[in-house]
Parts: sequence; structure tokens; C-alpha cells
Amino acid sequence: MIETKNLTKHFGEVVAVDNLSLHVNRGEIYGLLGENGAGKTTTLRMLATMLQPTSGNAVLAGYDLVKNPEKVRSSIGILFGGDSGLYDRLTAAENIAYFGRLNNMSELLLQDRIRELTEVFGMEEYIKRRAGKFSKGMKQKAAFARSIIHNPDIMLFDEPTSGLDVSAIRNVHEFILDCRSQGKSIILSSHSMSEVEKLCDRIGIIHKGKLVAQGSIAQLQEQHQGKSLEDIFIEVAGGGK
Amino acid sequence: MSIKHIWIVFKKEVRDIIRDKRTLITNLLIPIILMPILVYFMGGGMEKMEKDIENVTIALTEKSDTAEIRSLLEQNIFGDYPNVSFNGVVADPTAAIQDDVVRFVLDVEEDFAAKLGEGTPYKIFVHYDETDTKSLSSYGILTQAIQEYSQKQVEQRLIDMNIDLQILQPVSIVPINEADENAGGNFMLMMIVPMLASILIAVGGIPAATDLVAGEKERATFEPLLTTQAGRMSILLGKYMTVTMFSFVSVIAQLIGLLIGGLMSPSFFTMTSPGGQIGNFNIPIGALLLTILILVTLGMVFAAVELGISTYARSFKEAQTYLSFLTIIAMVPGYATMMLQPDDLQLYMFFIPLLNAIAALKMSLGGLINYTYLGIALGTSMLYVILSLAAAAWMFNQEKYLFRS
Ligand SMILES: Nc1ncnc2c1ncn2[C@@H]1O[C@H](COP(=O)(O)OP(=O)(O)O)[C@@H](O)[C@H]1O
Ligand SMILES: [Mg+2]
Repeated sequence: MIETKNLTKHFGEVVAVDNLSLHVNRGEIYGLLGENGAGKTTTLRMLATMLQPTSGNAVLAGYDLVKNPEKVRSSIGILFGGDSGLYDRLTAAENIAYFGRLNNMSELLLQDRIRELTEVFGMEEYIKRRAGKFSKGMKQKAAFARSIIHNPDIMLFDEPTSGLDVSAIRNVHEFILDCRSQGKSIILSSHSMSEVEKLCDRIGIIHKGKLVAQGSIAQLQEQHQGKSLEDIFIEVAGGGK
Repeated sequence: MSIKHIWIVFKKEVRDIIRDKRTLITNLLIPIILMPILVYFMGGGMEKMEKDIENVTIALTEKSDTAEIRSLLEQNIFGDYPNVSFNGVVADPTAAIQDDVVRFVLDVEEDFAAKLGEGTPYKIFVHYDETDTKSLSSYGILTQAIQEYSQKQVEQRLIDMNIDLQILQPVSIVPINEADENAGGNFMLMMIVPMLASILIAVGGIPAATDLVAGEKERATFEPLLTTQAGRMSILLGKYMTVTMFSFVSVIAQLIGLLIGGLMSPSFFTMTSPGGQIGNFNIPIGALLLTILILVTLGMVFAAVELGISTYARSFKEAQTYLSFLTIIAMVPGYATMMLQPDDLQLYMFFIPLLNAIAALKMSLGGLINYTYLGIALGTSMLYVILSLAAAAWMFNQEKYLFRS
């Protein structure tokens, strides 16, 4: 469960996120759709406790974002950007274990979980090899495993397919859907209509830091005379440039 | 903040860096190989220079090439100087000196014997090259020999005239050396070690500092790391310990190199200050411990500054550029104080960051220990550790530097 209330972030004069209120249920994928600079990354960084909100608050998995950031971090996993972000000189297993340990997992539980994820992602062959020499696909799987090593209730994806080729994009989509089927609450930021249409249960269109439209695709279309998502997006976010 | 998380970060970073061949080679291998070579050439070179100065070669001008003059020079004046050798006759003294054929060309007045008999002074013209260090140093040996000879002539004359030799010496000087027994020390080490140590401590942590924040930002591992349950300060401290450690890894490598070099050419370590004596080289254990502590705190200050800079930098490249400037800044006090002797050390030096460590090291190597000064250096260093760490922590919490994109 994610619930934000008037979440706001200023960078000096710039209002990057402006009174953002949304909620995401268990087993739901919420799409945060917006152009470059709309405030998607800033929103997700606040939810991941990397940035402190200027005002407003959020509750993630029952924990208060402002008062209890450490607990919030125990409940979230992130996959930011298309880059897998692994330590090249560590093996896949060492990469994953590092994040497990920093998330206070016991050594016993950690090794069990690595074994389990190795099987889930089919990494048996290279789990003990250094990540620097991996193919893109291998890196991607290790990064997936790393993001969910501590089995978080909430997953935050920030444009996870940017810069990836078709098969890699498909892998990401499958991973996101897997996360949903495990009952996680998910926010996926994207600037791709088709991606959001394909995956998301509900959508929020963000423009200049403000949430300008929100609802399921069906609801949005109902509110906008049955137009396509793209047309709706242009209508609510395109005009005011 | 949690010790457990700090330790996890530290262990991971050390493992990561140890697997980086490039860092290992620059931090470990190069010092161990380079230092002995440096020491060997410096030591060997100086030894050769000293020998060269002693081995004086002399030629005569054509008109001085008579049996009488030869006997005067070879037997009477330079008879007691086996390292002075006569290398024939030259037509053109200027060319002979400038082409380095011989070090000196002597031109003795032909009628010297007559003048000697009359008791009027005669001249020996010495051609030499003032711009040549060796020539200048050998000049001392030459004039000494001539003066000794001259002195003997004077004494002979006084004896002939029945005058007591004591008349020549109304006052005699009795030197009594009151220097502290421990003072003296090793000139070479006092000159080189403090400078080298400060630079190495600065440089040693740089590859790690660059990699650990700027590198991590660039590789996109930083954001996942910040969303683990490890607090930001635990992450910073784990990295800080790593950088501090690597500052010293290269220092230790360098010392090993210096030691190997010393074994290869021992004369390097026994060279003394000009005119000084070979010092007895022993640092009191208390001073040694204080100095080591001061150096450790210096490494900690550098580690914090380097991490702060690495956090501030927009990219890996930018971090490298800033940090290479830091190296230059670190070099300045080292070079500026290179020729400073332990008794030139001023109180204010023990308050200034970096300079205090250099001064403490110089003092200990020189053997003239002032524990108040060393205490001041340690106290101020510890203050700088706290200040620099606070600055790094502040930087690490600045959203605008941490997330530049
Ligand atoms: N660390 C930062 N410092 C200053 N301004 C920032 C920072 N991060 C983002 N911004 C600004 O905030 C706005 C939103 O950026 P961002 O959240 O990255 O948008 P998106 O992810 O939707 O492309 C932009 O105008 C951007 O320039
Ligand atoms: Mg973004």
C-alpha cells in the first residue's frame, strides 16, 4: 500500500513535484505518465527516501515516510533507469548478497533467497561469475534479483526500459507483472503510452509536478469522450507548454 | 548509524578495490619497484659525486712545464694528496677546462724559486670553471693544499729567523660541541620522508575516493545503495574507512620500497648534512607513536576531504580532475619545507593542517623532540579530523550534490 498526501518538492525556485496525492493498492500497478522533467524521478526518489519532501507526506507499507524512513526502506525495492547498476568486480551472488546484508537479512535466509532467485531467473551458470563480463541480459536478471532480494512489499520502477532493446524491454515487463502477481504495490514511471497501457491498472498523468489526471484507462476515456490515451495526454499535459 | 552496516560496506569496498588490478598496481606495485630504483640512483649518484670531487686532475700550462715547477707541485705541494693527479700539459687552458679535459690548469710564475729565495711572494694562477659544482668543490682541496704548503714556508722562515712559532697564533679557538646527543639525525631522510609521506597519504586514497562515490553515482549503483536500510552515515563511514585504509596502503608500500632501496644502497641513509656528522638515528618511542598517530589523522583528514570532493563532483572524470588539484595542493607544504632543519621549526607550524604532520615527522626524524609541540600537532589534527568528517557528512546529505542529474 502506498498513499501520498500533498507530496511537494522544491529545488530552489523550481517546483519539481507539486501537491501530489495518490494511492496504490496491493497487487496494483500504478503508472506515472509524464514527459521529461515532469517530476517522475523526483516523486520516486522521495518515496524511496533519497530526497526529503519539502512538504506533504506519504505512508508506505504502513510506515510514515518522514518519521520512519528506515522502516520505509525495508519495504521497498527499486529499479531506476535502464542501466542495471551492478558492481563489475563482484560476482552476481556477491552483488545480490551485499544488498541483502544491508537490508538486515540473516546469512541463512540470504543464502536461501539467493538460491531461490537464481532458480527463478535461471542464473545458475553465471551466479558465481563477475558481473563485469556479463551480457546485457545476464546483468538485467542479476539486477532484478538484487531489487527483490529482501522481498519488499513495494516496488518502484523509474523508466526501467529506457534505452533497452525489444527483448530486454519484454524481460522488464514480465518482471513487473511477476511482482504484481506476488501482491506487491507497484509504481511504474514512464513516458511511453503503450507501456503504461499494457501494464498499468491505474494511471496518473503528471505535468510540471502536478497530477493532472488520474484513474483507470477506462475511467480516463470515459471522462474524455473515448479518446485514445495519447490524445488525452496531449489534452491535459501538452497544451500548457 | 550501525556498526554492522559500516562493516558490511567496508568489507565490500575493500574486496571490490582489491580486485581492481589498476589500483593495486598504482598503489602497491609501483611504489615497491620505483622506490628502490629512486634510492639506488640518488644514493649511487651522490656517492659518485663525492668521489669525483676528491679525484682532482690538474694540467700545467706550456710555460709552466719545467722540472722545477713539476717537483714543486708534485712533491712539495700535493705530495700528501694521493687523489690529485697530474695530466700533462695543455696549450689552451680555457678549452681544456671548458671541455672537461682536466679540472684545473695551473700556471706557476717561472721565477718562483728566485722570488721564494728573496722572500717576495710569487703567484700560482688557477684556471677553473666556477659554474661547475665539482670544480668549485674540488677548488677547496686545491687551495687547502697550497695553503698548507704556504704555511710550512712561513714556519720555516720564522724558525730561520729564530722567532717562536707561537707569535703566529695570538688566540687559539677551542671548539666545544654542546649539541644534544640525539640531534643530528639523518639529513636525507629528514628532507625526503616528510614530503614524500604527505604526498603519498594524499595520493593513496584518491583512486578509492573517486570510485566510491563519483564512480558509484556514474554506475547507477548509488541509488539502490541509498535505499537499503543502511543509513546514509553508515554508508559514508564504511567508505571513509576504506579510503583511509588505502591512503596508508600506498605509504606502507612506499616504506617497503624505501627499505629495499636502503638494503641495496646503504650509503643513501648515511648521507649527512653538509658539514654535519652522521647522526645516530633513533626516535624515542613516545615521539614515534605520537608521530604515527598524527600521520594517521592526516590520512583521515585527506580521506574525508577526498570523499567530500567525490560527492560534489558531477562525474567520475570531474572527480579525478578535482582530486588531482588536491594532490598539487598537498605537495606545496611538502616542497616548501623540504630544506627546513628540525631546529628551524616554528610553533605556528604545528597548528596548520598538513604542515603540522610534516613538522612533527621532521622533528622526530631530527631527534630534537618537543612533546608540547607534538601534542599540539596531534590535538589540532584530531580537530581537523572532526571538522573534515563533518564537512564530508554535510556534503553527503546535500541533495543537490548527491543527485545532480
Ligand atoms: N537534484 C536536483 N536539483 C535541482 N533540480 C532538480 C534536481 N532533480 C530534478 N530537478 C528538476 O526538477 C524537475 C523534475 O525533474 P525529474 O523529477 O527528474 O523529472 P522526470 O523524471 O519526470 O524527467 C526538473 O525541472 C528538474 O530540472
Ligand atoms: Mg526521470
